[in-house]
Order: sequence, then structure tokens, then C-alpha cells
Amino acid sequence: MDQVSVAPAGMLLAGSVTALAAALWLLLPKALDTPGTRRLGALLGAIAILGFAATGRTLGCLGADAVFLVVAGVAVVSGLATIVTRSPVYAAIWFALTLAGVSGVLLVLGAQFLGVATIVVYAGAILVMFLFVLMLAQPSGMASYDRVSSEPLLAAVSGAVLLGLLTLSVGRLSASAPPACCAMPSRAQAAAEAVRPQTATPSQAAPQNQMTDADEVARLGAELFGRHLFAVEVAGLLLLVALVGAIAVVSRAEAADGDQGRSRR
Amino acid sequence: MMNLLPSPLILAALVKIGLLVGGLMTAAAYLVLLERWIAAWVQDRRGPNRVGIPLTKIRLFGLGQPLADGLKIILKEDFTPSHVDRVLYNTAPLVILAASLAIFASIPFGSVLPPLGIPGLPDPVPFLVAPGLDVGVLWVFALSSIAVYGVLLGGWASNNKYGFIGGLRSSAQLVAYEIPLGLGLLGVVLAAGSLRLDMIINAQAETGIWYVFAQPLGFIVFMVASFAEAARLPFDLPEAEQELVGGYHTEYSGIKLLLFLVAEFLHMITAAFLIVIMFLGGWHLWGVTGSSQDIGWIQALLRFAILSAKILGVIVFFMLVRWSWPRFRFDQLMSLAWKVMLPLGLVNLVTVAAVEEYRPQLENLLGPGIATAVAIAIPWLACLVGWVGSGILTPSESDNSPVRTHGNHGNHGNHGPFDVERELGPHAPPANELAGSR
Repeated sequence: MDQVSVAPAGMLLAGSVTALAAALWLLLPKALDTPGTRRLGALLGAIAILGFAATGRTLGCLGADAVFLVVAGVAVVSGLATIVTRSPVYAAIWFALTLAGVSGVLLVLGAQFLGVATIVVYAGAILVMFLFVLMLAQPSGMASYDRVSSEPLLAAVSGAVLLGLLTLSVGRLSASAPPACCAMPSRAQAAAEAVRPQTATPSQAAPQNQMTDADEVARLGAELFGRHLFAVEVAGLLLLVALVGAIAVVSRAEAADGDQGRSRR
Repeated sequence: MMNLLPSPLILAALVKIGLLVGGLMTAAAYLVLLERWIAAWVQDRRGPNRVGIPLTKIRLFGLGQPLADGLKIILKEDFTPSHVDRVLYNTAPLVILAASLAIFASIPFGSVLPPLGIPGLPDPVPFLVAPGLDVGVLWVFALSSIAVYGVLLGGWASNNKYGFIGGLRSSAQLVAYEIPLGLGLLGVVLAAGSLRLDMIINAQAETGIWYVFAQPLGFIVFMVASFAEAARLPFDLPEAEQELVGGYHTEYSGIKLLLFLVAEFLHMITAAFLIVIMFLGGWHLWGVTGSSQDIGWIQALLRFAILSAKILGVIVFFMLVRWSWPRFRFDQLMSLAWKVMLPLGLVNLVTVAAVEEYRPQLENLLGPGIATAVAIAIPWLACLVGWVGSGILTPSESDNSPVRTHGNHGNHGNHGPFDVERELGPHAPPANELAGSR
């Protein structure tokens, strides 16, 4: 690896990690927050995001696609907003937007099923349940210990360092084998071409990119129920056990409630 | 590399989006008129018949009514109460309308156009905004689950108890009925072998057997669940006028209310599209439209007309049901979802899976004709068994009498010996369930 070209990237990465840690610490809800510190935090956060983007660019693997940049930006910014906002309902909404961004990234990268499933499962089911509970439990005034994050400094530093390390390792991977990372879509496309039957109908003869892959779900299903059959079955069994367990817990609690009610009478 | 002019592919998509959105909005406006006409007809009165061409005396059977209604509601004062959460209050109608419109990206509204011969545009052009999306049905699901946010946020941001209860009811209902909806749909996907709605129509056109005949139980489950998803009358608890004023849009007025109402109509149109495409053969009609993809202009327009007519028929059915059925109580709604529709959906799915699995063996054994007959007969048998079984196992709870907490133990037929559960209010499971679990 070329040491000379990596050194500025390393400096840049270190700088962005520091900026991110400072930004997170300033932004996370604390007791002594003023609008000034939050504004400074937002500024530092923007610098850190730009720094990370530049690092990714220097280390050699970041899509230059405008759509990708938009959806990735939405995911990152709303992810940041999720953890720094004070209102739980707003945090849930920001998280929904994060999921939408992540789903957009997956769609751009050609993983249609994963992209849509992210929305259906997380945004459509889990987060709606969260919102449901948050709205029901919405306190008129939160307790003081609920207004602040418990360990802002440690959380900010560890999160920023983790992100830096991940960026570094992904960059190393792509630097050691540049084609493996950046040529992935075209390889997937080649595989898709090989799999697709030769007698394509006219509608399938349309210019395909990886976003409109006609066999995506079929190939994913074959993979899941072929190579990963055991894992899928185990996961299904686990979910079933959890479901039965949840019902058992609920019915016991209700039975106890009923007994209490009867003795009260 | 960058081309300033958009490619024909993108232009075609934009044209389709324009036609679809324009068509849907007009359809929503005129469906409101149709709904009012049908309501009037059911209730034996005349309904809107005055507004015609403005500034003339021409009445045109009241066909100008949607225009007048639209103008009125747009020009109304857009009043924002002071107690609302402004950001979410303004976002909610946009979220719900955007999601309800984006659903149509993967819903075909016809078959294909005959070859146009435009360079750069692959022929034939399908009546579908996103033709290559391989996860069509899931896209519909994902976007309709985003639409839940509009309802929930609208209800919460209004900071009004009616709005809030409406939002909560709505989200609980939509989440609960998504499961039978998905089960009804899985049977079709299993039989057609594709998640793409255009492929599902093609599969029905090729065999000539619509899935309503091959999977009657799936059709019933899907139909009931889509009524609930569209919050139409037997399931319109989220906005029950008599108890909740307007439900989640109580505090909205002017154009924001219009966005909510349009989105609600779009939900019904989506449900009608899905029912027609997945169970009623889409654009297919025996002897009129073939299954070929290589067609002329007349055939293309005919298919579009047949699809539209079927959808209109389903929508009229929706509207007639509105005046035929009383509203469910919330516990009845939930027990219908979890105790009737969910098991029926599972029965349908297992039946369809078994039939599809053994169909090749059957064809080898009996010949294709008898095998098809058997493959249709078995789901009908399952439908009968499921219907009777669910009738026996889950007796209908039609007692709407007020909750009594004192005396009269065991006097109500199916309330069981305990009345403590009744104190938990209408959201508690019925007493006989708890009594049985002990």
C-alpha cells in the first residue's frame, strides 16, 4: 500500500472523528444546554460528516451517484437527529426517516427486497408500535433525569471512534483489493446476466440496471432456502418460541389480574 | 456522459406518472359524487343533482358538484388551532397523501401499449410506472404502512382527545389487519410465482382461471382485510362520526383536510385495484381479451376499459356495503382479525401450498382437465370447512348492551361467570376467552 497517499487520509479521518465526537457531545441532551452550544454542535457535525465523506472518497470507495448521496445523507442526518432530539415522538419520527434513507440506499445498491422489507418490518410494524406506546405514555413534563442523556461524553467518544475504525477497516479492505469493492455492481450484473434465461420476453429485454433486476426476489429466495435453509428454519423456530412465550406471559398476567379483581370484590 | 435531455425511458415514466396522478385525482373527485349518489339512492332521496356548468342553467345531472366541492374546500380558511404541534400537524397530511400516491408506482393500470417504435424506449410499453420493480406487492405494503404514520401523527399532533383516539384506533386496526391481508396475498403470490402485479394478471390470463375461483377463502380474507385497511364502513372506527367527531382529522380544515380525504379515497381505490388485479383477473375477460403480450391498439384500450370497469364495480360494492352494514365494536374488530381472519388466511395458505405442490403429480395421474377441476375443488372444500368451522368456534358477539358491573352474574349468554373483565372496558378480550384459559 502506498503510505504517502494514505497519510493525509489518516489525518483527515482523525480530524473527522474528533469533530464528530465533539459535535455529538455538544448535541446530546445535557443539563446545561444553550442554543449556542447546540448550534456549534450542529456546525461541527456537518464538518464531521463532510470529513467522513471526504475520507471515504480518499480511501477509494464511495459511490458518486447523486441519488445515493441524497439518500445516504438523509439516513445519516436523520440518524444523528434521532439521538440528539429531546422529544421521544420526534426521535421516533427521525428514526423512521433514517429507515427510509437506509431503504433508499439498499434500493440504489440493487437490493430491492431488503430495501422494501426494511420499510415493511421496521417502519411499518416495529416503529409504529413504538410510536403507539410513546404517544400513550407521553408525559406532559418529563422528569429531569429523562431530559438528559446519561453518559454523553463516553457515548460520543466511543461512537465516533467506532465509526472511525469502521471507516478505516472498510478503506483498508478497498485499498488492498480495489476491484472487489468498486466493481461489485457490475459483477452482480454479470451474474444476473448469466442466470437470466436466454429466451427473454420483450419486456425483460429492457435495459436492465441492478435497480430493476427481474429475478432479484427469485434468486434471493433460492439463496435463502438453499444455502441458508438451516439458519432460516432456526430463526423461524426461535420466533415461534418467542411468540408462544409472549402469549404465555400475557395470559398469566391477565389471570393474575383477574384473581386480584375477584378478591377485591 | 451526462445527457441534459432526459432519456425516453424517464420521459415515458414521467408521462405515466402525470396521467396516473391526474386520473386518480379526477377519479377521487368523481367517486365522491358517485358515493353521494349511491347514498341518496340507498336512502331513497335525490342526492346532488344541481351543479352543472357555471353561469348557465345547464345542470348535467350534478356533474359539476366535485368542482364546486373542491373549490369550496380549497378556498376555505386554513385554520390551525393554537394547541397543536405545528411541525407534525403540517407534515401528517403530506405524508399520507404522498404515500398513498406513491403506492401506484407498482400497480399496473392496464396491459401494454402496442409497439410505438420510439428509439430508446423498449417496446411494448407497459401500463405501469415502475415496470422492472420485482417486489411490486411488497412495495404496496411498504407504502401503505408509511401511510399509517400520516394518520397516527395527524391524530397525535392535533392534541385533541378525539383525534388521538382516532389515530390510535386506526394504527391498531391497520397493523392488525395487515396480517390477514398479507396471508390472502401470499396464496396468490404462491400460485402465480411472482411478486409483480402484472405477472399475477398474466398468470390468470394464461390459465383463464381467476384466483377468486381458485382461492375463494383467500379472496374472502383479502377482501375483508382490505375493507379494514381502507377504513371503510364496517371498519370505520378511526373516524366514527358519532363518537369521535372526525377521528384523526377532527382539527384539520381547508386544504389539509382535503389531503386527508383524498388520501382516504385513494386507499379505497388502491384496495379495489388490488382486489381486481389479484383475484378478479385484472384486464382479463374470457373471450374478449387473450393472454398475448403482442396486441393492437383496440385490444390495448379494451383491456384498459375492462380493468377500469372491474375496478369501478368493486368500488360500487364498497359504497353499497357502507350503507348495508353497521359499524363493528372495537373488540369485535380485533377478534375478527385475530380469531377469524388470521386462521382462515392460514388455512387458505396451507391449502394453496399443498395444491400447488401436488399439481404436477395430479396432472400425471388424472390428466390436465380433471387435475384442474380437483385443484379448484379442494380450495372450495377448504373454504366451506373454514367458514363453518370459524362459525362454530367463534360465536358472533352481537351483544351491544351497556356494560354492567353489578349483579346479574351469568345472565348474559356468552359473558361467562365473571364480570370483572367487563370492567376493563371495551378493549378487554371477551370474558369467555379468559374463563376458558383458566
